[in-house]
Amino acid sequence: MRAQYAWRSSVLAGVLAFVGFAIVFQIVRIQTSPEANTFRLWAAQSAETIQTYYPERGLIYDRDGHLLAGNKTVYEIGVDLKNIKDKQAIANAVGSELGLNPNNLYNLMANPPSNLNYLVLANYVDADKALALEQLKKNTDAQTLSGQQSKLSGLQFTPHPERNYPEGSLASNVIGFVSREGRGYFGIEEKYNDVLAGAPIQMKVPVDPNKAADIPQVPNGTNLILTLNRDLQAATEQILDASLTKYGAQGGTIVVMDPRNGEILAMASTPRMDLNQFWNYQSIYHNASDFNPAVSMPYEPGSVMKIMTMAAALDDNTVKPSTTFLDTGIFLIGGVTIHNWNDQAWGLQNMLGCIQNSLNVCMAWVASQMGSKNFYAYMNRFGIGHLTGIDLADEAAGRLKVPGDSDWYPADLGTNAFGQGVAATPIQVMMAASAIANHGRMVTPHVLYAMVRDGRQFNVPAQYSGSPISASTAQTLDQMLATSIENEASQAIVPGYRIAGKTGTAQIPIDGGYDPTNTNASFIGWGPIDDPRFMIYVWLQKPTTSIWGSETAAPVFAQVTKKVILLLDIPPDNIRNQVAMP
Amino acid sequence: MIRTIDVIHYAYKQAPWRIQRQWISGFLLIIMGLTMIAALYLDVSAHAAITGRDIQNLNAEINQVQLSNANLESQIASSMSNSTMEARALALDYQPIQSNQVQFIIVPGYVPPAPVSLVSAPSLQPSVLSVQPEYTQSLLDWFNQQLRAPISITMTGASQ
Repeated sequence: MRAQYAWRSSVLAGVLAFVGFAIVFQIVRIQTSPEANTFRLWAAQSAETIQTYYPERGLIYDRDGHLLAGNKTVYEIGVDLKNIKDKQAIANAVGSELGLNPNNLYNLMANPPSNLNYLVLANYVDADKALALEQLKKNTDAQTLSGQQSKLSGLQFTPHPERNYPEGSLASNVIGFVSREGRGYFGIEEKYNDVLAGAPIQMKVPVDPNKAADIPQVPNGTNLILTLNRDLQAATEQILDASLTKYGAQGGTIVVMDPRNGEILAMASTPRMDLNQFWNYQSIYHNASDFNPAVSMPYEPGSVMKIMTMAAALDDNTVKPSTTFLDTGIFLIGGVTIHNWNDQAWGLQNMLGCIQNSLNVCMAWVASQMGSKNFYAYMNRFGIGHLTGIDLADEAAGRLKVPGDSDWYPADLGTNAFGQGVAATPIQVMMAASAIANHGRMVTPHVLYAMVRDGRQFNVPAQYSGSPISASTAQTLDQMLATSIENEASQAIVPGYRIAGKTGTAQIPIDGGYDPTNTNASFIGWGPIDDPRFMIYVWLQKPTTSIWGSETAAPVFAQVTKKVILLLDIPPDNIRNQVAMP
Repeated sequence: MIRTIDVIHYAYKQAPWRIQRQWISGFLLIIMGLTMIAALYLDVSAHAAITGRDIQNLNAEINQVQLSNANLESQIASSMSNSTMEARALALDYQPIQSNQVQFIIVPGYVPPAPVSLVSAPSLQPSVLSVQPEYTQSLLDWFNQQLRAPISITMTGASQ
C-alpha cells in the first residue's frame, strides 16, 4: 500500500516538475527565438504613444483686464488605424457631420501613409460639430452588442486650444494674429511670440502607468497686459472710420499716447481685419506695411515736422520766440526756391508767427541759420530716421537723408525743415514730439504694460530715449504751440483744455515730383499742456473734401480729444487747478 | 554489548517518514515565503499601476479643465466685448455721453483707478522631484537600487 502511494506521488511530482520545466523552457525558447525581436518591437511600440501637446498660448488683455486674445477649444478628429472596423461608416459619419467628402475620407483611410497608426481626418473642428460627432459615436457604441466592435470604433477626438479674438477686429493692427501652426504674425503676436509661446510639442509618452511621472508638464505661455484702453481704442476706431467717410480720405491712422511714459492708449488704422478670420489677410492687405501704418508706413509728414525744426533752433539759440524774419514769400537754398503753402509773402514775422502760419519759407531760413550739421544732429537726437524701439513687429525706420549721403543735396536742408523730403512714421513723430510735451525728455513708445507668469505680474517701466532739448526749450515751444492754436482759432481746440499742437499738409511724392492733387493731412497735439496726459496723432491719407490738415485732421483731433478726456477722466484746466491748489 | 548499542541507536534514529515530512515542511515553508513575497510584490505593483493610471487620468482631466476654462473665458469675453456691450446699451436706450454733458466735481481723497493687476496665487505644478522614490519604485527597483548602492563601511571601536 505504502509502495503504491510512493509510486503515485513520484508520478505526480514528475508531472508537476515536467509542467514547470516546460513553462520555463517555453519562456526561454520564446525569448531566444527568431521571432523574439518582433515581439520586442511590438512591446516597444505599445509601450509609448506619440502625443501632441498644445500648451495654452498666453492671453492678451487690455490695461483694464478686458480679454483681447484668448483661446477656445477645437478638436482634432482622427482614426486609430489598428482599431478600425468599418471605414465606410466612419467616412460617412465624419463627412456628414463636418461637411467633408466621404469618398475622400474613405480613400484616405484605405490608403494611409506607411508606418502610420493614427491618421488625422480633420483638425481645428469647432467644438459643437466635434461634440455632435462624438455623441453619434457614443450612440453607435451603445447600440453595439457587448464584445463586438462598434462601427465607429477607432474614431478619436483630441481637444486642443485655438487662438480666439473676442473683440474681432478691434485693435487688430496692434494685436496681429496667430496662424494654425502657432506662429504669430504682426503686432504683439509676432513681437512677443516667444513669450506667448504655445508651439505644439509632439513627443513620446509612456503608456506604462508606473511611468506616469514621465508625462511631460508643458508650461503655458505668459499672459500679457497691454497699455491699450479697449474703450478708447473702440472710440478712436469709430471716429477714424467716420472721418474717412466725412472727409473722403483713402485711409487713416490715429494714435493716442501718454507722453509721460510712452504708453500707447489707442492705435487705430484702416483697414482692419477680423482676427478670427486671419486667412483673409491677403485679400485685405496688399503690403505688410499696410497692416499697421502707424509704425510700418513712413511718409512725408509735412508741417508737423516744423515742431522739431523750431525746437532745435530754440535749443541751439539760433532763434528766440521774438526773433523776427521778413517773409518775402520765397527763399532760395541749394539752388531750389522754397515757397509758402499759399505761395504768398507774409511780411515781418516772429517765430510764433512762423509756427502759427506754418511758413515754409521761414522754417527753411531757420534751418539754414542753424546749419546742416546742427540741424541734422538735432534730427538724429529726435530719432528721425531711426527705429523708435516700439514693441510691435515690422517697425519701419523711415528715411532722413543727411549730408554725406549720395542723394542728399543742400536744398534738402530747406525742405526737411518743413517736413518734405524726409520720411517718418507717425510713431516716430510722436516720440520726437514727446520731448516737447515731457519737459525735454523723450519717451520710448510701448504697448506692453505688464507680463503675468505663475501668478506674478511684472510691470514694464517707462523708458526714455534721451533729452534732445532742454526743459526750458520744451516749455517755451509748448507755450508757442498752444498760443498759435488759440490765435488761429484752430478746429483742434477743445473748450476748457489748453492744448499744444500743429497741423501738417504734405504733398505726396510720386515718380519725378509730387502729386499735384492729393495730400496727406496730419495733426499732432497734446494736452493739457501744464500736465500732459495724452498726445494724439491724426493722419488722413488723401482727403478729398479738403486737402488741408487744418480742415480735416484738426477737427478729428478735437473729436478724439473729447473722447480721451471722457474715458481717461481728465477734468478741465480750471477744475484741475483747483485740485492743485492747497 | 553491540546489540545493546544498535538498539539504542535505532531507538533514537528518526523514522524515514518523519525525515520526509520535515523535508516537505521545509519545502512548503520556502514555497510559502516565496508566495508571500510574490503576493506582496503583486500587491505593491498593482497599487503602483492603479495609482499611475489615476495620475494619467488626472493629468488628462487637468488638461480638459484648462481647455474648458480657456474656452469659457473666451466666451465670456465675447459676450462682454465692446461691440456687444455697446449694442446692449443702445438697446436699453442708453446714449453715449458727450464731453459737454460731464460735470467734474472735486472729491477729496479720490484715487483714480489704476491699470488692472492680474496677480494671483501661483498655480501648483506637480513636481516629479518632490515625490519620494518610496512612492514610485517597485520592489525590484528597490532591490536593484540596494544592489547598486555604494557599500559604506562604518568603523566602530575605541581608539587610543
